[in-house]
Amino acid sequence: MNQPEKKEINVIGVEELIGEVHEKEIQVIAFKLKEELVSVPIEQVVEITNNRDITPVPKAPSFVIGVMNLRGKIVPVINLKEHLGIVDEIPEDIYSRNKIVIVETPKGEVGVVVDEIVGSIKFLEGDILPEPIGTIGIDVKYISGVVQLDRELLIILNIESIFNRED
Amino acid sequence: MKVNIPDELREILEEFLVEAEEILENLDQDLVDLENNPQDKELLNKIFRGMHTLKGGAGFLNLTPIVEIAHRIEDVFNKLRNDEMELTPELMDVILEGIDQLKSALQMLKEREELPDIEEIQTLLSKLDAALKGEEPSQEREKREEEIQEGEIEFVEGISEELKKLILRFPDKDLAGILEEIILMPPDERPMEVIPEIEKLIEEGKDVKDLIKPKEKKEEPQLPPPPPPAEKKEEFPPRSTKKQEKKQSEKKSSETIRIDVERVENLMNLVGEIVLDRNRILRVTADVDRECRSEAVEKLIEAVTSLDRTVSDLQVAVMKLRMQPIKKIFSKFPRVVRDLARKLGKKVQLIIEGEDTELDRSILDKLEDPLIHLVRNAVDHGIEPPEERVQKGKPETGTIRLFAFHEGDHIVVGIEDDGRGIDPEKVKKKALEKGLITPEQAAQMSDKEAYELLFLPGFSTAEKVSDVSGRGVGMDVVASTIHSLRGSIEIDSELGKGTTILLKLPLTVAIIRTLMIGIRGQVYAVPLHSVVEVVRYDESLVKEVGSFKSFMLRDEVLPLFSLNELLEVEDEDEKHFIVIVKVGERLIAVSIEALYGEEEIVIKSLGELLSDIPGIAGATIAGDGRVVLILDLNSLLSDYKVKLIGVRR
Repeated sequence: MNQPEKKEINVIGVEELIGEVHEKEIQVIAFKLKEELVSVPIEQVVEITNNRDITPVPKAPSFVIGVMNLRGKIVPVINLKEHLGIVDEIPEDIYSRNKIVIVETPKGEVGVVVDEIVGSIKFLEGDILPEPIGTIGIDVKYISGVVQLDRELLIILNIESIFNRED
Repeated sequence: MKVNIPDELREILEEFLVEAEEILENLDQDLVDLENNPQDKELLNKIFRGMHTLKGGAGFLNLTPIVEIAHRIEDVFNKLRNDEMELTPELMDVILEGIDQLKSALQMLKEREELPDIEEIQTLLSKLDAALKGEEPSQEREKREEEIQEGEIEFVEGISEELKKLILRFPDKDLAGILEEIILMPPDERPMEVIPEIEKLIEEGKDVKDLIKPKEKKEEPQLPPPPPPAEKKEEFPPRSTKKQEKKQSEKKSSETIRIDVERVENLMNLVGEIVLDRNRILRVTADVDRECRSEAVEKLIEAVTSLDRTVSDLQVAVMKLRMQPIKKIFSKFPRVVRDLARKLGKKVQLIIEGEDTELDRSILDKLEDPLIHLVRNAVDHGIEPPEERVQKGKPETGTIRLFAFHEGDHIVVGIEDDGRGIDPEKVKKKALEKGLITPEQAAQMSDKEAYELLFLPGFSTAEKVSDVSGRGVGMDVVASTIHSLRGSIEIDSELGKGTTILLKLPLTVAIIRTLMIGIRGQVYAVPLHSVVEVVRYDESLVKEVGSFKSFMLRDEVLPLFSLNELLEVEDEDEKHFIVIVKVGERLIAVSIEALYGEEEIVIKSLGELLSDIPGIAGATIAGDGRVVLILDLNSLLSDYKVKLIGVRR
């Protein structure tokens, strides 16, 4: 297994390596929230699951859809759109329709309902641009950066700041 | 002394042991109660009768030492109930000593058919005799001490004067006991310099008996010699030494096995999986039954039904493995508090609440030491001496409240005293002196933060504890123990008013009995302890009083709420049942749509994100894999009451 890797290193010249050394590759899981293409670094994604039975929690903040059973663990499921301030109608079947991305947050594992999973996207760290102000419907404090893809703007969410909010 | 019980009397001995155990079981509590209420004739009679029964049974079996002790205690209580004697704390000390001796004698008898020799209990018997004659037992003790000092005991070389004094002062304690006594002494009397000496001796495996060379005992037992020894006596080895005793009691305790908590946890997870599998099998079997009926299918159903039952039992059994009521440790405190209060010359009343609260075994085990520590602190440093209390306009008797309750997926264990409280400024000052904080930090610190300083390692040393209300001794150890259980500790104190220490402990597994109820198709679990009864909903019993509804339960009018309004969900469906809940001293009726019955569930946390939702105590995972929320009707209702008052204004 190590053989090919070694070979590659030998092939790539030292000069080239110096150029690449800061270019860390970043992988994210991208999904749609209404019109926006947003993403979460893959290290923070625990799993993607088909929606299961969600138990609504009365008196919880409105962005909380309910709680679900994730292999014996109780995980809150939230409507990220509302949490982030993206205005959208809540579909009647939100409890059963969408996919849920389970992310690791400072407040434990949280399920996030998304409209559509786009998939995994890789890019280089240097491609990340500072967050543009006012062009998207998400507060910049929840964004750690954006990446310009071929046609779309990919938003990278800052999970730490989203779930550290002192409400 | 070995006891020989002829075979024909064995059965009687067994019966006697069971009976004796029953009598002694609640005696500690009874006696402490009695001390608070010495005129309680019923209690006096109860204890008297108990001793009488014990004496009779022991007499029949020729168990002389037990007869001698029980006989004297019985006499004491006979005098007490006839008002011929007064129950003084000194007398109570002697009685408690007697009870302890009885207990250990019965234990010996049960475990290895031995009893203490009469000589061993002679001191106790003389004390009881003296008490019966109306002599002050303390005088007796002093007399004895004098005798000892007159030269009954000679010490070996190299023992410090201070330690000699201590050994004489506590003649019936071993070194560990003396060490304990030192810790219990008021801070300014503590002979600190002896502690290392004693510790060294204990490390060397020495004890008091190795340090003294007692002279020949002059005392002759005042009592008739024990009954003629049974014929076979010679065959038995002489009285076993302490070491052997220890070994034997260890052997005895192997009747129960100790299991690594992790194994039980693993077992529990596996059972959880089985439960889910069973539910799937049940569903599939029902489907099969619908599609094709045959003899084989019927047999399948039969087998599955049996499996269903067994799995349910298994689940309950495994869950229960880990749970134990906190009573197990709480029951030790009446004695701890009483003895310590006596030693320190304080008057303390102990109130225990919530002793049935069940707690994970592993947590329970680790909780005992910190709790004893905290309770001792409360008595030692919290509660003031009676004179000081009177001066401050407080009741002479201090109160310590020890309580436990479920709060969501936590258990809260608390100790509350009405003593002097902690002065945050003094704590800060001390922390500054020790260099634990900077002056800037001290200036910005809130009171609560200041109390946190008490938990810092190195904050307190035994000497000046009383200067900072003395909550320092070993508090860092207490805190680290609680933290290692992933719990938290919180101090709340008001100078001059008292201190409350709350230990919040997680329940990795906590099982509670719940009532499964439903509204709008959702199932909720309500802890059974808060439910008084469930009745059918009857429209004719519902009355509208102003903007409030009420429900007639037999002759009582109770405020009525629907669970829907309490949970702030839509309220249109027909109600079918009413759950009567006790909130404080009041009964309140809560209407619900569906009732699914009783279930024993495991509490799980809702996670940090949802930790503060009022009225939701946690959640559990139902058999079908869905999450069921556990409601805390108490807080739901108190929340609502506040709102109602607001509306009224």
